[in-house]
Amino acid sequence: MAGAVKARRRTVALHVNGRRFDLLVGRDIEASTTLAYVLRENLGLTGLKVSCDEGACGACTVIVDGKAILSCMMLAVDAHGRSIVTIEGLEEDDAVVAAFARQCEPGHGTALQCGMCTPGFVMAARALLDETPRPSAAEVKEALSGNLCRCGCYAGILEAVLRAADRRSAGGGR
Amino acid sequence: MTKRFEPRVARRHVGGYRPRIDGLEKASGRARYADDLTTRVEFPDQLAARVLTSPHPHARILSIDTGRAERLPGVRAVMTFRDPEVAALRPTSAGWTDGVDTVSYDRQMWRRYLDRRVLGDTARWVGDEVGVAVAADSERIAGEALRLVEVDWEILPFVLDPGEATRPRAPVLHPDIAPDNVMPPDEVGGPDVFVRKGDVDAGLAAADVVVEGSCTYHNATQCSLDNWCCLARWEAGRLTVWSNSYEPDQTRMFLSEMLGIPLHAVRVVSSYVGGQFGRADTGEQPFFLWTSLLARRTGRPVKFRQTRRESFQNSRQPAAYRSRWGAKRDGTITTMAYTCTGDAGAYADHTMFALKFAPAEVTEVALAHVTNVRMEARGVYTNKLPACMMRGVGNSQFNLILGLMVDILAEKLGMDPLEIVTRNFGHEWGALPDTSLVAVLREGAARIGWSEKRHAPGLGPLDADGATRRGVGFSFHPGWHAEWQEVRRGPIHVGITLNPDMSVRLEAPTVECGPGSNTCNLLGCAEALSFLGVDPALISYASVVDTDSSLKDTVQTDSAVSYLQSEILVDAAAEVRAKLLERAARILGTAPADLDVRDGVVFSRSAAHRRMTAREVMWKGDIVPISVVVSRPPSARRTGVPYMAAFAEVAVDTGTGRITPERLVIVNDCGTVMYASGAEAQQIGGQCMAVGESLTEEIVYDRATGIPLNFNWIDYKVPTMADMPDIDPVLMEVWRGDGAYGACGIGEGVLTCTPRAILNAVHNAIGVRVDDIPLLPEKILAALGKG
Repeated sequence: MAGAVKARRRTVALHVNGRRFDLLVGRDIEASTTLAYVLRENLGLTGLKVSCDEGACGACTVIVDGKAILSCMMLAVDAHGRSIVTIEGLEEDDAVVAAFARQCEPGHGTALQCGMCTPGFVMAARALLDETPRPSAAEVKEALSGNLCRCGCYAGILEAVLRAADRRSAGGGR
Repeated sequence: MTKRFEPRVARRHVGGYRPRIDGLEKASGRARYADDLTTRVEFPDQLAARVLTSPHPHARILSIDTGRAERLPGVRAVMTFRDPEVAALRPTSAGWTDGVDTVSYDRQMWRRYLDRRVLGDTARWVGDEVGVAVAADSERIAGEALRLVEVDWEILPFVLDPGEATRPRAPVLHPDIAPDNVMPPDEVGGPDVFVRKGDVDAGLAAADVVVEGSCTYHNATQCSLDNWCCLARWEAGRLTVWSNSYEPDQTRMFLSEMLGIPLHAVRVVSSYVGGQFGRADTGEQPFFLWTSLLARRTGRPVKFRQTRRESFQNSRQPAAYRSRWGAKRDGTITTMAYTCTGDAGAYADHTMFALKFAPAEVTEVALAHVTNVRMEARGVYTNKLPACMMRGVGNSQFNLILGLMVDILAEKLGMDPLEIVTRNFGHEWGALPDTSLVAVLREGAARIGWSEKRHAPGLGPLDADGATRRGVGFSFHPGWHAEWQEVRRGPIHVGITLNPDMSVRLEAPTVECGPGSNTCNLLGCAEALSFLGVDPALISYASVVDTDSSLKDTVQTDSAVSYLQSEILVDAAAEVRAKLLERAARILGTAPADLDVRDGVVFSRSAAHRRMTAREVMWKGDIVPISVVVSRPPSARRTGVPYMAAFAEVAVDTGTGRITPERLVIVNDCGTVMYASGAEAQQIGGQCMAVGESLTEEIVYDRATGIPLNFNWIDYKVPTMADMPDIDPVLMEVWRGDGAYGACGIGEGVLTCTPRAILNAVHNAIGVRVDDIPLLPEKILAALGKG
């Protein structure tokens, strides 16, 4: 009985973008492996980026059980049984993705340059809009101030998030 | 309120507001960077490399015992400085080139300062990568192995301050190169007094007024999110390296020269790079070498990736300037003298670029009308992380003193500093006042509300809180990325292939690291092919540079790729046109000279009925593409330079010392705007770095141990969305360069004037000067006598 419990615990089941992945601790992953590492190196989901690997930049943001989390700060074993959405799991017509991609409103610049931080911003913005469908500019700044964009496209990002909110509220995109 | 930019010449594609061509790829997470191309899914048999980083600021390895590390399960190779293939590596620098050209070992830019040994036995800063590198099954095992390596260190005395480093009996970092820690003059940077024009002493003696000032620019760092990484693989004696170097051709040369293998046996692949900001201008990184050597020894692909903490690898060149100016009572500046001490850190890298090369360039243009100029600089080695290239290299540091001296002189003479500037600065090939300079200052002043908001220093209204005062300030700088300033690149290669169905393959290889030059190139190609009416959506453009299959890349430095390749594409398109008309002439039975083509229709000038679409021409013939490759250097015609300016409005809380930048106006004369959304993104985006450098960003050392204390993004403060002021980006087209577009790069210069603009605004607000950035609150309080 004790052995069976132990064996069960050694398998970590991740539900990622609607698919289930079973990973064996000791073979596929280690107890100390982060969720970010597993998503990228075991599952090949390279949309999220690992930059600081210590919870300071937001580049690895994914959505776990509906909330934006830093996947570098969560152990894979702690994600057992949870529902994880990475940027690869978004719909093709995702309103936030489209708004970031298209932003070129004069006076605000684009919403991305090098693009390294972008998937993290997109996921954080998506979680925000799920909770607060029509955020104010101040609310967007507050919600996204855990993400760093060294290219400094903050004005374009703000514009993109407000536009995505408009579009989602009008029933366009997800 | 932001005004939409209106181009001087309306064009179909170039110059407009539109999404980036890589917008969807990046926003959807599909864009793949070096780290993404080299995961364990892609290379399951890869090993992970780790390297020893010194815990001491200055120490030598006396002996090293790798036995326990080698016996750790999962360890595949342990390589030390004693191994023959490491010991055979020639001494090198991490600054072979500033990126504009590809150079060999013998022609590296700073060959006077070959101060780096790859995996050497001596550590010169805490974090220096020395002594031993390990390849193991995982990063964790490699890290564990390094902890098992027993190193017997000879701890050496260290020095952190350039002043202390030049005193007698100070610890010496590089006895063979700089026995007194002062970097000797070299042939690129020139002598210590590297600008000597007129007679400065006589000029100061004859001046109506003489003013003095000093300022210090500290050691911010680039903070690219894309930590350095590479994966090296050997197959049949050929080395392939996937990397986030933005200089693939130069990286290939570096590997070939250092490892002694022919160029054709080295392949370098670079994809998108997640921001570089000057970091990769020290592209000759030692890690390429030990990763490649570990891969050769183990016969497996080996990946090396720095952690974020390890990515604190180099900083902006700290520079302390002192200056004296002499002027006439009417504001005419007759004399300028500058002395500068740069803290090079542990290795030379591009120190002399920042201290000498860049200010000398400014002298050639902006200071052309000043009769007497002397500039003196010296670089000093210290046991800190090396200083090197960072966006705005040398110019940002020089602007801090230039804009200060303008402000001090204006105050002394009771003049508006804007008038001082327009009266004195321009360029060698133009008269005063300079039209570009006048235009950017006028526009910036109007947007910030200069005449209404400017007041006597410290004498503006006090806010209702009884503590907050406001002020405005500005600074200006000449551009340094006009086409003639890029001639050192040599020939630039581009190619156009017109397919029979009128779709196009564009070859304009450059590693896109953010500025949007891939979008500029695509628009430039569509513009050049306007005679075919080509839709940009039908142009394919690879975002990966692969030295096996790409033309030589044009390095994304100087932010000049936004127009340089487009200028050459005009020539390539002309050849495509000529070849198309030759084909059409054969089909239509006329001479090519009789034919013209507009909007995709070829027609005879002499007989209107002789016409067919370009597509019909292509389908009727051999149905083979028209391929053209053009290679030529940038135009050397000296067209002068455009100007840029930044205006800042700040609020200073005199109770806490906190500075809040409330508004920035960033003005750039671009010559021609190639891509308005991208250019505005540069203007806005550059302020993240500029505001950070002005107010919060600084690497802090523990004086007692030499240990850097904030190599992480918790304690090293990069501005977030919540920290940034409103920014008004202003694009202008006043000056014009040579060529079809006559544009210039702006990506570096967008942040060059901001720190000085903020500092001058703070002086305007509180009436005292703090000229040492970052402007931490305690410095403000001390200056207010509240320290």
